[in-house]
Amino acid sequence: MSELEQRLVALGRELDLPFEPEVAPAVLERLEGRRPFPWRPVVLAFAVAVIAMGTALSVPEARSAILRFFHLGGASVVRVETLPPAVERSQAGGLGEPLPRAEAERRVGFRLLLPPSAGDAPVHVLRGSLASVVVRSEGRTVVLSEFRSRPEALRKLVGPETTVEPVQVDEQPGLWIAGGGPHVLTYFDRDSRYREQPILVHGDVLLWVRGTLTLRLEGRLTKAQALELARQVR
Amino acid sequence: MVDRPLDETGLVELARRGDLRAWETIVRAHQGIAFRTAYLLCGSSADAEEAVQDAFVKAYRALGRFRRGAPLRPWLLRIVANEAKNRRRAAGRREALALRVAAYDRPGDAVPSPEAALLRGEARARLLAAVERLPDEHRDAIACRYFLELSEEETAAALGIRRGTVKSRLSRALERLRAELEEKP
Repeated sequence: MSELEQRLVALGRELDLPFEPEVAPAVLERLEGRRPFPWRPVVLAFAVAVIAMGTALSVPEARSAILRFFHLGGASVVRVETLPPAVERSQAGGLGEPLPRAEAERRVGFRLLLPPSAGDAPVHVLRGSLASVVVRSEGRTVVLSEFRSRPEALRKLVGPETTVEPVQVDEQPGLWIAGGGPHVLTYFDRDSRYREQPILVHGDVLLWVRGTLTLRLEGRLTKAQALELARQVR
Repeated sequence: MVDRPLDETGLVELARRGDLRAWETIVRAHQGIAFRTAYLLCGSSADAEEAVQDAFVKAYRALGRFRRGAPLRPWLLRIVANEAKNRRRAAGRREALALRVAAYDRPGDAVPSPEAALLRGEARARLLAAVERLPDEHRDAIACRYFLELSEEETAAALGIRRGTVKSRLSRALERLRAELEEKP
């Protein structure tokens, strides 16, 4: 492959592609001849079915069990015996459209909480519900995301090798999720449509609650560094 | 509920016999690349999502015509690409691609200096702009082969052209890109 071809491949990996939608439910509805229906009443059962099917498919001769739930604000962290297969390379980006802060706040409908280091950084908004900023901290790139807390707004699956530790940020509850491998993230968008996205998490994650918002910090920071950055978020 | 993994051929056979759960597994396995293909060809997130949905519905109904034992992904991408290109034609335009403002660090990456980061960003933006100026048939070949990292066979299937035509389009597109990048340092 020539140098130009290699540059094109590298460029493709850094394109700002939109979040990949979950189309399977809509495809099945159409093939079964069912009319679209509101997702919320059935989504929890559906999510559990997806988890169960994914884990069963991934483990020959065995079924995986859901080992434990951790609830925090609008997020649930579910520890499972075996993670569902990550069937596709996911875009590490896909944070959504970059917008000035004021416009981002208008889209998501709440005032953003940001650390001073965010400065005038653009705020990425995903489907009107999830706002993210990319900041530098301790020489690392860190992604801070926030969304309005609502039951099961976000669900993350983690494997047995990942540690989930309760922490406090400004006397508010939080979870420090350390250790790796792909996580499966599911969430509701503002129209209550169910979305599922396998993502590869680059680093550890701090989840915490502030008022009506759930915040999420992702990056290769130590726990102490992540907690310190979280305390600067106002 | 499936108790053990089936390979894709097994899933296709089940789907042919009307097993929608088997088709759902196939849809989940391919929806990511399907969406990215559709988006790069039609340039609209909403149109791409619609194109992918329609493609998976049409593909299921056309399974009887799918050649047993053939690779499924190129066949699916062909249907997806047709749907996406139909929407591009109907819309009459395509939105320009954009680069992520900030990429994640990769393990082991050194932190670049601000100057190096700026130069790298400018070079990427120039290259992307040059790709966007290519004629559609050249741009589509570049998008499939390099941005999506499809094989030549998959690129040919997605674009509905022969493998030799893929090679010649890529060759001409690369030549144009080289010329343009040299002209505008």
